[in-house]
Amino acid sequence: MSHARRNLSGVMVLGIPLLWIALFMLLPYGIIVTFSFWVKKYPTFVPAFQFGNYVTLFTDPQYVLVLLRTLKISVLVSVASLLLAYPFAYWLVFRCRSAKLRTWLYMAVIAPLWVSYLLRAYVWKTILGTEGVLNSFLKSIGLIDEPSSIFLYNQFAMVVTLTYIFIPFMVMPIYTALEKIPANLTEAAADLGMGPWRSFWTVTLPLSAPGIAAGATLTFCLSFGDFIAPFLVGGPDGNLIANVIATQFGAALNWPLGSALAIVMLVVVLTIVSLSDRMERKGATGGI
Amino acid sequence: MTRKILLGALGALALTTAAPALAEGTLNVLTWEGYADSSFISKFEEESGCKVNATYVGSNDDFAPKLMSGGGVYDLITPSIDTTKLMIDLDFVEPLDTAKISEWNNIYKKFRDLDGIQKDGEYYGMPYVWGAIAFMYRDDAFTTPPTSIADLWNPALKGKVALWDDKSSIYVAARLNGDMDIYNLTDEQIAAAQKKLLEQKPLIRKYWATAGELVDLYKAGEVVISNTWAGYQSGMLKAEGIKVTEFIPKEGAEGWMDSWMVVKGTPNKECAYKFLNMQLSPLGQCGVANINGYSVADPVSAKACMTPEQFTSLHQDDPAYLDSLMVWQPLGDRFEAYTNAWNAVKAQ
Amino acid sequence: MAAIIELENISKHYSPTIIGVDNVSLTVEDGEFVTLLGPSGCGKSTLLRMIGGFETPTHGTIRLADKDVTWDPPYKREVNMVFQDYALFPHMTVGENVGYGLKVKGLGRLEIETKVHDALKLVGLFDKVKLRPQQLSGGQRQRIALARAIVREPKVLLLDEPLSALDAKLREQMQIEMKHLHEKVGITFVMVTHDQTEALVMSDRVVVMEKGRIAQQGRPQELYDHPASPYVANFIGTTNFLPGRVIRCTGERAEIEIGGGRLSAIVDAPLVAGSTVTAGCRPEKVRLLAEGETAENVLEGRVAEVIYYGLGLRLAVELADGSRVYTDSLLPDRLALSPVPPLGQSLRLAVEPHNVFVFEGEVTP
Repeated sequence: MSHARRNLSGVMVLGIPLLWIALFMLLPYGIIVTFSFWVKKYPTFVPAFQFGNYVTLFTDPQYVLVLLRTLKISVLVSVASLLLAYPFAYWLVFRCRSAKLRTWLYMAVIAPLWVSYLLRAYVWKTILGTEGVLNSFLKSIGLIDEPSSIFLYNQFAMVVTLTYIFIPFMVMPIYTALEKIPANLTEAAADLGMGPWRSFWTVTLPLSAPGIAAGATLTFCLSFGDFIAPFLVGGPDGNLIANVIATQFGAALNWPLGSALAIVMLVVVLTIVSLSDRMERKGATGGI
Repeated sequence: MTRKILLGALGALALTTAAPALAEGTLNVLTWEGYADSSFISKFEEESGCKVNATYVGSNDDFAPKLMSGGGVYDLITPSIDTTKLMIDLDFVEPLDTAKISEWNNIYKKFRDLDGIQKDGEYYGMPYVWGAIAFMYRDDAFTTPPTSIADLWNPALKGKVALWDDKSSIYVAARLNGDMDIYNLTDEQIAAAQKKLLEQKPLIRKYWATAGELVDLYKAGEVVISNTWAGYQSGMLKAEGIKVTEFIPKEGAEGWMDSWMVVKGTPNKECAYKFLNMQLSPLGQCGVANINGYSVADPVSAKACMTPEQFTSLHQDDPAYLDSLMVWQPLGDRFEAYTNAWNAVKAQ
Repeated sequence: MAAIIELENISKHYSPTIIGVDNVSLTVEDGEFVTLLGPSGCGKSTLLRMIGGFETPTHGTIRLADKDVTWDPPYKREVNMVFQDYALFPHMTVGENVGYGLKVKGLGRLEIETKVHDALKLVGLFDKVKLRPQQLSGGQRQRIALARAIVREPKVLLLDEPLSALDAKLREQMQIEMKHLHEKVGITFVMVTHDQTEALVMSDRVVVMEKGRIAQQGRPQELYDHPASPYVANFIGTTNFLPGRVIRCTGERAEIEIGGGRLSAIVDAPLVAGSTVTAGCRPEKVRLLAEGETAENVLEGRVAEVIYYGLGLRLAVELADGSRVYTDSLLPDRLALSPVPPLGQSLRLAVEPHNVFVFEGEVTP
């Protein structure tokens, strides 16, 4: 009887997550993969097994163009987030002397995560707009005479907005990685003759690399799948891959092509994730 | 008003449309904002005993995916005349018993005769409201009022132009190219329209997607000229104190018309027909005209409830105006060629 | 021999009331092995970190080989530190760890390799050059940390509780090994520890610290045999403290009345008759008297506890007034003290006058 009970609990412990994965991950992916081989036929689409959708994606320049643009924006967002988040996290961990201030600032960065994404994106619209806060400010300090329209409705605005929205995902892992570095390692580097700058490059930076990898992966993947920033602050040249997918599933009613795009996107994201995972793992064996 | 638009836009964006509960006597309508506004729906609910749950769409493209993901949720929908045929062909809607619609014969004949709402001699859509895809400009930005689509291609307006993010942009560009049979364009003509739109792209501030977005763009001083859903956005902007003028360019304007359609297999047929009758009655026709500023499909009801000024300004007594509009037509299997061209423009 | 480190009136005040190091002056000779000994919080680590440059004093001057380095950052000082947890870089191999400090010196790759090789050979771990620190045992890491520090040929090697993370057996072995290493490389060693045995075994000189100040310094034997204060007597080794009163003091000889009897003691300075004092003696200097044997200082009591520790026996003897005196006797062979005295048995103890310390005042160890 106890054997049976153990079996039952075993089924529960393993079975429920497996069922969950099968039902909510594998099944949807399976459906998407299946659709991607179907073919568009008015009024909707019909089952088939052919690679036409994939061929279209890689031969029609509009999809390649959007894919490359999405990669570019995602990389820019990741880099911008890194350049802002790293010094900030570094300062919090190593330079901020007041624990209270540190907690407060850390929370200040994380807190926007609890605010609606849309609200945060809208905020940037009011900041960057032609009659927005930034223009008013630049005008008031006399830097410009006429409000400029170069801040909103372009790729710059998308990068700024996405960076702002996703930067907590960069700050958190870097902060954690830096916090895990024992203080005596930087002391040891100084002791062995390295100035602060070289000590940073040879000790702090390599040891925080797993955090950077995790943060870059998160910000990259989140930006890569974003379709609201282009909608709100992007300009006519702001279409990203997720927008194209949305169009294919909506306006174009071409689910097969949309599914093929989603699969391509998934492959890109999985590649990035596995690369970063490998890097983190390598970092972990170097961990303490 | 603005708050409502904003909320509507947010709702559509977030795609958080909870599936309404199925209940006898409760109508779930998938429609545009304003078409089931409480200002006139409450009265209907009291009188008929039917409850109305409205879910709003942000675009005609929302109807098919929402109905595809499973039936049995919505009872009534209001696609535009370029989408009605798709609904019929997808077998999502059922034929109407026009005998049960008392005002049916008062609807503009032009609309009743449209192909888009018929199949095999049966009617599937009840014309409801209509309007032009007019053009609009900010008064303070022009000394000479624009009169042509070409004004949206004027390099002097760089960064101040907005265009509807819809396949209709192909219609606009085609007309500028002189291709007036905009619903039967050849591949070459579509390619030419695509090229024209790419030329315009550097001038574009934003391809607008929702009514609220276009209003915001004018309000924030981002754009001064665009196309628009005649009567709708200009009304909102006037309420905000922003002076804009609508115009029909010399190249003509498209016309749109929305119809009520009954979703196949609805269990609420009785309430559905009560609802259809109400929407064609003065209550429904003036209800929507007052909220959205659109022209209505039944001039008899309109006459009964509108002031003469409103009746005139909505072109309800102007058959020539109606005839001048190039009312949208279903594109059928040419649909993909149009959308693909438009998507290619956006992708650039 | 010349002074290599000179600390002049060094203080570290964290706040007006929190004082880490309080006006310490100390000179370390070139080649010496000096240990800073004391309980945690006595300021020994802070003092060491100030020599290393990881902290700066609020008052005073630090000179290293006649050069004022008080305000120099660590990387400008010719000292190297072996950290308590070794602080080996986890993302580098053993070889890279040891060679790390040579890179700044502008040496060629070959030269670095040779030096790393020599240093690893010195600590007997050359075969581990390609491994990561996490693949090594605690003792091996300890040696890598040593190699990494001495490869830079510093003027002074600082050791912050270098053996505290090792188990007892390995610690004992490393004590000797490091002493030999010190002799071999001839560099000045300054070590911090709270372990008195470690201090006594390894150092040329021990500096006992108390509340940020130096309590006493001297050769290990000096400190053991002539503790200057009850604090030192208590911290180094074990001491029986017996409260008493001076009966008389003539020359260097004092008579002390204690609860359980009388003691004669040889004192450095005369004591005032009638003053309150505390007498102290090491357990191993307290002898059990055989039947009929006489001695100068005899104390009588009963066996209250017997503690066996392998090497010998420790008896707790309760005197008439209830105070306890510990006595250690080695067991050179089975017969010397057999049978073990049963609890409650009366015993007579003796201690030579020159083995009695007398501290003025009352002591609560």
